[in-house]
Amino acid sequence: MSTRGTTLFADNPDVQLAPGAEQDTLVLSMGPQHPSTHGVLRVLLRLDGEVVVSAEPEIGFLHTGIEKQAENLLWQQAVTVVDRADYLAPLSNSLCYVLAAEQLLGIDTIPPRARVLRVMFTELTRLASHLVWLGTHCLDLGAQSIFFYAFEMRERILSIMELVTGARMHQSWFRIGGLAIDVPVGFLDAIDDFIARFPQRLADMRAIVEKNVIILDRLVGVGRISAEEAVAWGLTGPSLRATGIRYDVRRAHPYCDYDQYDFDVPTQTEGDCYARFVVRLNEMYESWRIIKQARDRFPGGPVTIDDRKIIPPPKTEIQHSMEALIHHFKLVSAGFNVPEGHVYQAVESPRGELGMYVTSAGGNKPWRVRWRAPSFYQTQALKRLAPGNLIADVVAIIGSLDPVFGDVDR
Amino acid sequence: MPDAGALHPERAALAPLLEKLTEAAGTAFLEAVAAPDMDELAIRPEGLLPVMDLARCHGFNHLLDVGGVDHHPLTPRFEVAYHLTALSANSVERAGPILHPPRLRVRVFCDEPEPAVPSVTHLWPSANWPEREVFDQFGIRFDGHPDLRRILNPDDFVGHPLRKDFPLRGQARRFVPGGRVGPIPPLETRR
Repeated sequence: MSTRGTTLFADNPDVQLAPGAEQDTLVLSMGPQHPSTHGVLRVLLRLDGEVVVSAEPEIGFLHTGIEKQAENLLWQQAVTVVDRADYLAPLSNSLCYVLAAEQLLGIDTIPPRARVLRVMFTELTRLASHLVWLGTHCLDLGAQSIFFYAFEMRERILSIMELVTGARMHQSWFRIGGLAIDVPVGFLDAIDDFIARFPQRLADMRAIVEKNVIILDRLVGVGRISAEEAVAWGLTGPSLRATGIRYDVRRAHPYCDYDQYDFDVPTQTEGDCYARFVVRLNEMYESWRIIKQARDRFPGGPVTIDDRKIIPPPKTEIQHSMEALIHHFKLVSAGFNVPEGHVYQAVESPRGELGMYVTSAGGNKPWRVRWRAPSFYQTQALKRLAPGNLIADVVAIIGSLDPVFGDVDR
Repeated sequence: MPDAGALHPERAALAPLLEKLTEAAGTAFLEAVAAPDMDELAIRPEGLLPVMDLARCHGFNHLLDVGGVDHHPLTPRFEVAYHLTALSANSVERAGPILHPPRLRVRVFCDEPEPAVPSVTHLWPSANWPEREVFDQFGIRFDGHPDLRRILNPDDFVGHPLRKDFPLRGQARRFVPGGRVGPIPPLETRR
C-alpha cells in the first residue's frame, strides 16, 4: 500500500506558497474535453511541479436553463424537464419534484402499489448510477475489465426500465399523484431475474476492484477530508458518509415509506477517495436489499390516486362519460392549479441530498423550482480537495466525488 | 402522512432557538412560521448576519442551499432562501447513530432597484457557489462575497435569466464563426 498520499501531502488544507513563489507555478487548464472530467468540467490547476497548489473548477458548459423551463410548463409537464437534470438518476429527480408538488397539493396518501414501485425504481436508478460510477471511475484509474461487468449489469436495469416505462434513460414515469402507467406483464419475472442475479455479480465486481493493489495505491489517502470540513463544504450522500457522518435523507426525513424498509446506512471514517469508494460499493448492496423487500411486499391495486382533478380518467371511461371527457380536456389543455405556498422536499439521490425548493403562486405552472443539486456542492469542494495532490490524483478525486454535470449546471 | 413532530422530536426543541433568532433579527424580523416541512424565519437583509451567526453557533453547521425566487410583481420582489441543517460531527464512528437532524429555513426579502444581501461565505465556505448562482440568475448582489462572478452563464451574458421579466425565448444570442457574438433575428423573420 502506498504511503505517498498519506505522508507527503497529509496536511493539505492550504498549501500556501511563499510570497513571490507564484512565478514558479504553472497554470494548467484541465478540461472541458478531458475524458476523466465526466462531461464538461474545466479545472484551472495552478501547479508547482506536478503538485496542485490551487484548483478552480469552472462550470456552466451544460447549463440548459431547466429551472427556467420548468417555470414555463404545466405542473405535470415539468416532470419531463426535471428528469433531464441529473441524467444518470432521472427518477430521483422526478421523485423529488412530484413529492414536492404533492405536498403543495395536500395529497398525503398515494396508493401503496405506486409507493412501492417508486421505491423500487429509485433504488434501481441508484444501482444504475453507481454502476456507471464504478465503471467509469475505475476506467479513469486504468482498470478496464470492471467497466464491462458494470455496464452489463446496468444494461439489465435499463432493459427493465424500458420494459416498464418505454424509455431507457429519461423515463419520466412518475406523475404528481402516482405513476404514468402500471407495470406490464412480464415485469415480475424480469425483476426476479435481476434480484437473483445481482448479488453474485456485485461480489464478482468487488473481487475485481476492492482489494486491487493498483486501486488501493491510487485511492487510499488521496483527497482526504475531515467530517467538520465535509459539513462546512456542504457535502452530502456517500461523500459525507465516507467521513463517518451517518446522514441519509431516506432515514433522516423518510419519504415513500422508507422508514418501513430494513436497510443499513454504510459509513467509513477515513474520508478519502477509498472510503467513498467502499461506501458506494456497500450502498449498492443495501439498494439491492430494498429492491428485494419492495418485490416481496409488491401490493396490488391502482397506481394513481382517484382524483379526476389531478389524474386524467382512463380511456374506457372517456369513451362513455361526458364528465370524464371534460376532465381529460381540462387536464391536458390547462392542467391543474396548485395552492399558493412553498416547500422544500429532499430525496437521497445517488449523489447525495437532492432538494427542491418549489414555490407555487397558485397557478397551473410552478412559480419557481430551485434545485439543491448535490453534484454542485461536490464539484465546489474540489477547490478544497485537489490542492496538495498530484495531477493524476485530481482525476481520482473527481471520480470519487461522482459529479454529474447535468446536475451541476442544470 | 405521519406527523412531523412525532418523527422529529428535535423540532420541538427548536422553539427557544427560534425566539432567540427572532430577537437577533431585531427590526429586520418579518415573520416566523412553523411550516409543515420545517420551521422558517422571514427577515430583511439587515438581520441576516446576526441570525445566521446565531444559528451557526447553535449547531446549524450544514448549509444545504441558497436559492433565489423572483416574486415579481409583488414587493419586496426578491427572496433568497437559506436551508440549514444540523449535523453533529461528534458521532464520527463506523456504527454511530443514524442522524435525524432538524432543518431550518431563513427567507430573506430584498427589493429593487439594487437588491443586495450580505454574504455568508465566512460562515460556510459552501455558500460561495450558490451565492454566485443567485447573483448570476437574479442579479442579487452579495456584499462581502470574495469572488462574485457569473457562474452558469457566460461572463459576457446580458441580463438575469431567472427573473420573471426575462423572456423564455427571443432574446438569445447566436455564436458566429470567428468568435464574435451576434443577435438572433426576431422569431417571425426566422425561417
